[in-house]
Amino acid sequence: MTEIEAPRLSGRRFRPGDLSLQTVAGAAALAASALVVLIAYTIVRDSKPAWSAYGLGFVTRAVWDPVKHVYGAGSFLFGTVVTSLAALAIATPLAIAIALFLTELAPRWLRGPVTALVETLAAIPSVVIGLWGILVLGPVLRDHVEPALHSALGFMPLFGPPSTTGSSMFTAIVVLTIMILPIVSSISRELFLGVPRDLKEGALALGTTRWEMVRGVVFPYARGGIAAAMILGLGRAVGEAIAVTQVIGSTVSVSANLFSTGDTLASKIAASYQGAEDKAQVSSLVYLGLILLVFSLVMNVSAQLIVRRVVRRQGTSTRAGVA
Amino acid sequence: MSTHNLTKAALRAEGLPRRRAMNRLMELVAWLAAALAIGILVVMVWSVARRGAGALNLDLITKTPVQFNFGNAPSGLSNAFAGTLVIVGLATAMALPVGILVAIYLNEFARPWIRSSVSLALDVLNGVPAIVIGIFVFGLFVVGHGQSGYAGAFALACLMLPLVARSTLEVLALVPASLREASLALGVPRWRTTLSIVLPQTLGGIVTGTVLAVARVAGETAPLLFTTSIVGTQLHWDPHHALQTVPVAIFELSESANPADHAQAWAAALVLLLFILCTNLTARWLATRSRRKITTAR
Amino acid sequence: MSRIIAVIAATAFMATSCALAAAAPARQSGTTLTGAGSTFVAPLVSQWGPAIGQAYGYELQYSPIGSGGGVAAVTNRTVDFGASDAPLSNDQFTACKGCVQIPWALSATSVIYNVQGVKNLLHMNGPTLAKIFNGEITTWNDPAIKKLNKGVALPDLKIAIVHRSDNSGTTFNFTDYLASVSPQWKSKVGTGVAVNWPTGTGARGSSGVAATVAQTPGGIGYVDVAYALSSHITYFAMQNRSGKFATPGLKGILAAASSDQKPDATTNALSIVNPPKKYPLAYPIATYTYVIVPTQSAKAPELRKFLFWAVTKGQKFGPKLLFQPIPKPVLVVAEKAITKIHA
Repeated sequence: MTEIEAPRLSGRRFRPGDLSLQTVAGAAALAASALVVLIAYTIVRDSKPAWSAYGLGFVTRAVWDPVKHVYGAGSFLFGTVVTSLAALAIATPLAIAIALFLTELAPRWLRGPVTALVETLAAIPSVVIGLWGILVLGPVLRDHVEPALHSALGFMPLFGPPSTTGSSMFTAIVVLTIMILPIVSSISRELFLGVPRDLKEGALALGTTRWEMVRGVVFPYARGGIAAAMILGLGRAVGEAIAVTQVIGSTVSVSANLFSTGDTLASKIAASYQGAEDKAQVSSLVYLGLILLVFSLVMNVSAQLIVRRVVRRQGTSTRAGVA
Repeated sequence: MSTHNLTKAALRAEGLPRRRAMNRLMELVAWLAAALAIGILVVMVWSVARRGAGALNLDLITKTPVQFNFGNAPSGLSNAFAGTLVIVGLATAMALPVGILVAIYLNEFARPWIRSSVSLALDVLNGVPAIVIGIFVFGLFVVGHGQSGYAGAFALACLMLPLVARSTLEVLALVPASLREASLALGVPRWRTTLSIVLPQTLGGIVTGTVLAVARVAGETAPLLFTTSIVGTQLHWDPHHALQTVPVAIFELSESANPADHAQAWAAALVLLLFILCTNLTARWLATRSRRKITTAR
Repeated sequence: MSRIIAVIAATAFMATSCALAAAAPARQSGTTLTGAGSTFVAPLVSQWGPAIGQAYGYELQYSPIGSGGGVAAVTNRTVDFGASDAPLSNDQFTACKGCVQIPWALSATSVIYNVQGVKNLLHMNGPTLAKIFNGEITTWNDPAIKKLNKGVALPDLKIAIVHRSDNSGTTFNFTDYLASVSPQWKSKVGTGVAVNWPTGTGARGSSGVAATVAQTPGGIGYVDVAYALSSHITYFAMQNRSGKFATPGLKGILAAASSDQKPDATTNALSIVNPPKKYPLAYPIATYTYVIVPTQSAKAPELRKFLFWAVTKGQKFGPKLLFQPIPKPVLVVAEKAITKIHA
């Protein structure tokens, strides 16, 4: 099949086949990069009427009045920040606990099935989680959980009057937590599995309890990676449009009460973009998309940087460990 | 690090009962958290399974939907299933070759600075929220022309591209340099080496990556919302039309007032979930099989 | 070798499919008419679909994404026709670049509620309704509501307001009514397909509002009366200007329609909200709904046939969904407008 040709002893081997493969593959790589640039350019261009008219004040103005033509991202930014951070705050400890459970505590026969179970959670499409959220979770939260929390912790403005319809920021937070959990958990699990055994066994040999070993060896080792996992999870939560728009109640409001309705950047776009009629509204919605894009860009790049730093550090520490 | 503290604690034997109690407590917390998370998952999957199975019947894939079903005419989502097949298939056809070529370029030809910038571009593309990709494709392909299955497929392909490229890149990097060098030393030209020697080694990984990407985009709703959602009730296979898709159908049915619509949504969700689970399991099985092949080949 | 060919073939396929997507017209001309917009008229259009298919062999694809979406879609020419309950403004006409607006159906917005044990057709009037949606009246046993419904046991239940989250002609109709009965609403909130609601939860589409109200004890919302019927939800009898309480039935809609039989000369728009005293049977929140079509279209012959059928034979499907067939004077204007569509 392969002809063995006599090697040319002088000059550079430059076959037309090589050139064509390199050109075609290079064109693909160029196309992929161009796509990213095109997306950024299109979003910036289509939001230009909005940011040239409203400027940066748009980002903090919490008004969305199509009748008076006053638009602002404030309430949606608030909704995005609150729901994503709250979901991250709840999901991270749970995810780390699961990862610890799977790497240290679970009996061996249990590890495989539970790992598969958690990864299944990651594979559930957001629209299915949203469907479950509207029809199952929402009523349960509205009828049982929120009144209980309100009567127990109602002195805090966070747990004000329960929602009326089952759609609320709280429901969105629960839904987002379910979506972030498997991401942070599986990355943490890989990190914990990667902790060198001799470090762990060394600590145990010194007489530490398992928890002290985890706290003193595993956590510091995996700290950077967990940070990256958290940022990735946060990125997922911030960008989620569908499941959130199904359960959040779609109102323009800034409220300390977790049980009130609200809206996030992504879910506002999903709800309103198709129906936006005039230029001002369309470009304002694309401006929301621009803010969202900047958010996810920042988070992606920082997760990247952290991962790179962690890999470099882990490289040196394993070398040190071996030595 | 805190080895110093660990040693101190270890030597302080009189604190042992408290430390043991703390250890017990933390183990309990970990067990509880795991149980909670697993419980939520089981509850959710059980909800979908129970409600979906109740409404699951052959009508779902053989009958077309009936809008405003005031009576109880037999109704299904055949147009949605057909549309999803066509659009996901088209998206794969668009993303797969480009993804493989990008990975080949990055691994075989690119200079380091090109490699890191294209990698960055791919990671950025991966991080763009699906809804933003939806607006982008809407502005690019839909305005002035109308919605179509092609536009929806292109939007999904944008989501698949970084996944396929990244997984191909990973398996390409696994191919030992010695294989390439042996081939080049025998006089095989570079392009032939890449396509006939290196690439076949990675086919398992490519298939795994593609299958995972397919599982991921089969459930995506946001990119399809603005590109292929204005549909009727008839069954179509032609991507020049806007085609109904399963995730968009579930989204629309979930906000309906009619309990029969909810039942249909659960059934469709169950089918979608089963499809995604099966493809994930297949990918996992393929991955372990190809990993075994590569390690034994060494 | 075969693998190389496969890769090249796949790349070529990808390239050609992308080229096709960009270059080729997205719709086959001829037998498919795509439309989008108002959820208000969607129940009627869904009845038209099979009938039109039988009559002319056309396939009707209609997507109820809200009136705003319909206007946007037809302006962007992503559909053949748009449907909107809110008449186009001058700016929208300009942006649409040569569109004609044709009244093609007539019905009413019902104000639905979900209060356990309370009968259908409770009494309600405009100012009280405005106060409810303003957030001033918060419970069902408020004195203002009790005064209108003497003898009805109203529970001490919080009112849960549900409004549309998308751009909706039904919202336009409803806020138009509230603005006409409450100067406070007019100045603070105004009329529009989407407004800055003082309070309440948003839901997508009329079906979303109907679904949310049906699942929420104490809920109140506004939907096209066809949705209230199909979801078996209770709705109010609204007090009109002559003091009588009218229901959103065919008689009430017909009486409201008598208050304005002359479509505007340029836009063909009509306003029948809150009709004057001399229509004692009128339901005060009735509205025409319009189809918006480009005057120049590749599918002009099919569109003309479809629209002629819709405003004549199609109206027969209306009454059981509480769509009143459009009155003769308006029909004449509509038919004249349809002839403006050319290739």
